[in-house]
Amino acid sequence: MSEGLDVSEFITGYLAEADEHLTNASTLLVSLDATMRRRETNPKAVRELFRALHTLKGLSAMVGAEPIVDLAHEMETLLKLGDKAGGKLPESSVDLLLKGVKAIEERVKALKAKKPLEPAPKALVDALAALRVDAPTSTPAAALSLDPELSAKLALAEHEQLAQGLARGRRGRRVDFQPTPEKAAAGFTITAVRERVGKVAELVKVVPRATASGVVFALLVLTDATDAVLAEAAGAAPGQVTPITLNAPAAVAVDVEEDDARDDSEPAARDYVRVEVSRLDDALERLSALVVTRSKLERAVARLRDGSSDLRGLQAIVTENARQLRDLRGAIMRARMVRVSELLERAPLIVRGLSRASGKPVHLDVQAGDAELDKTVADRLFPVIVHLLRNAVDHAIERPEERRAVGKSEEGHIRIACADHAGRELELTVTDDGRGIDREKVAQRAGAPVPRDAAELLDLITRPGLSTLDAATRTSGRGYGMDIVRRVTVQELGGELKLDTRPGAGTTFTVRVPLSVTIVDAFSFGCGDETFVVPVSAVDDLAELEPGQVVATPDPNAAAAHVRLFRHRGAAIPLYLLGKLLGCPGSSAERPKVIVARQGVEAIGFQVDRLIGKQEIAIRPLKDPLAMVPGVTGSTDLGDGKATLVLDLGALASRHAFRKASA
Amino acid sequence: MTALHVVFKVGDVEYVLPASEVVELESFTQATRIPGAPPYVAGLVQIRGKVIAVVDLRARFGLPAVDRTLDSRVIVVRHQDRLVGLLADSARDVVKISPDEFRRPPEVVTEETDGFVDSIAQPGKRLVMKVDFAKVIGRQELPTAPKGAP
Repeated sequence: MSEGLDVSEFITGYLAEADEHLTNASTLLVSLDATMRRRETNPKAVRELFRALHTLKGLSAMVGAEPIVDLAHEMETLLKLGDKAGGKLPESSVDLLLKGVKAIEERVKALKAKKPLEPAPKALVDALAALRVDAPTSTPAAALSLDPELSAKLALAEHEQLAQGLARGRRGRRVDFQPTPEKAAAGFTITAVRERVGKVAELVKVVPRATASGVVFALLVLTDATDAVLAEAAGAAPGQVTPITLNAPAAVAVDVEEDDARDDSEPAARDYVRVEVSRLDDALERLSALVVTRSKLERAVARLRDGSSDLRGLQAIVTENARQLRDLRGAIMRARMVRVSELLERAPLIVRGLSRASGKPVHLDVQAGDAELDKTVADRLFPVIVHLLRNAVDHAIERPEERRAVGKSEEGHIRIACADHAGRELELTVTDDGRGIDREKVAQRAGAPVPRDAAELLDLITRPGLSTLDAATRTSGRGYGMDIVRRVTVQELGGELKLDTRPGAGTTFTVRVPLSVTIVDAFSFGCGDETFVVPVSAVDDLAELEPGQVVATPDPNAAAAHVRLFRHRGAAIPLYLLGKLLGCPGSSAERPKVIVARQGVEAIGFQVDRLIGKQEIAIRPLKDPLAMVPGVTGSTDLGDGKATLVLDLGALASRHAFRKASA
Repeated sequence: MTALHVVFKVGDVEYVLPASEVVELESFTQATRIPGAPPYVAGLVQIRGKVIAVVDLRARFGLPAVDRTLDSRVIVVRHQDRLVGLLADSARDVVKISPDEFRRPPEVVTEETDGFVDSIAQPGKRLVMKVDFAKVIGRQELPTAPKGAP
């Protein structure tokens, strides 16, 4: 840049355009971050990002903003390599690129304020340059000698894996495996075959295909073993092993339109589950076992009809059928599981956004582990995580100057950790190193006595009323949305919520939820002539209602569902007439029973007419607004084809209490 | 271009809904009452494994309750991504009505019926009313906490 050239007239235009490219780059990086966490590539975003930075570099050179040129150049070079490699970028690229964008933003701001520009941060430039070394080199896309139908099922990366293996001189083979009851009896199930083939070959992909004679799995592998070894591992005839070879290099068809479609797929993606193919194969195989049982049943019925057999033969088939149905259910439930790491992949972006909005630098550490959750639980848990993160950033983490004053690092720390407990529960903790929750202040704000311990404090901050109170004083408060956290965790998912807080040192929320809630054990009971169920996990105790155990209380308002006192295990607990709470007509019984449930730390009794039994139920959440009422969590079918309501007793009691309070 | 409409009766009056929005017609025996739901919600029914909330049109239209008969029908309607049942006294036939046969109801009718009547048509010698389905099934606030209870 020549000294004499006056660039000030360009600056205004430059600033506007630079802003636009930077905003564009940030947006692209966010979507790129999401795709990379899914271990997918987004070549379009990489290319656009490259263009944005390339343009920015050119513009910055024109106004002589050398530090910006340096940064943009390094970023652009990395992106160019990524573009050549079909959109693949090294792992930590997004973070560094985000830092790069931020560094450029700072310098653009400085230009605007007519301040001197700081040189490009050397560490960042070096880190970006270092990444280039790891960048995947471009590979000429090669066509494989594969059935187009199979070829279409391969992801680009799988294509590449096969092509690269072949190029390195490994043998590519396709092994066809068709499960049959005979093979299964000999131990050759698809799961076993996968495992066995996996020992002698690199399994690239298993593609199940429906054919006239049933499901056939095509195993596509790279191997050094002979065809005979492969065939033996798969329990297949040697003729069922066919070679895969490399054809002359040609462009692998990349469906550009599909890439376009993927860009706006983000919001809708939540209703899908990504399933490991092996799990679907497993379910398919269990389904074929059921089909076999059905033909056995047909034969047995035919034999019964001509009198050559009795019912005993049938009994064995029914038992087998029950076992197979259970297996199939298990297989389908496994297919519904999503990785917690997948659930948490958006957490860093959320924290980044909150951190930016609040002006508090926050470092998030995610230890997702390899736990898995049922899709239903995962979907409900996600808002809980968002609320906890938001509370941590907005309320718990102090401002940088405040942190410095008390000897903490300026950057706040939040940690999310997950662990799977005995394959039945997930424990998720959100820990911050912020100011902790002040019991006195919360009590004062809620107009309640000062909580004696963490459990009481948790009860207080998750009170539905408190969030309303808080809305007015949100700047200093905590508890925003905590009632939702509690409701989802405890009432909807049947889990537990715990709190550990130390003033000045930080807070940990522990959420413990079952890995799957679709099927639970439940008690069924009757009020009047209606039947209801309540999950066993929500019930503390069941008791007979003996005369003399109940004490009436004053009833100045002549409440419809008046509370009495019930002596239970040495304590006096409130007792509701559940029939009255639910408005059941004609509810009365000679020997009523009591269901004791727990609401927070408090036990509450509910008088019902009769207990019917305990059984496993599949809860269907009620999604229609017409049917969504507090106290009803879902519906189930007890086997009579009718909808039976699944109740949340605690919510029913608080609904009643609230009506009273607002009456 | 005419479109098929399902005709159903509530009280002495005939109403129609476009057949394209009707998923199925089921006879009605009993619904599971939902405590705390609006009074015009008859309850839940299970139809082919789906749990569907049913609006009692008699209650919705302010008619006195009557005993259900063999003629009672649940009309399952798809509205956006919701499936909702409408409980009618009977639903027997379908008629072809072209869109331009529908007229706006007189102003006073719109007011007096809270907007439940979307339009009216007179195919042959009958007079039928097309209901505003979105209005009839209501736009409930999603209850978020017990404090949302009425």
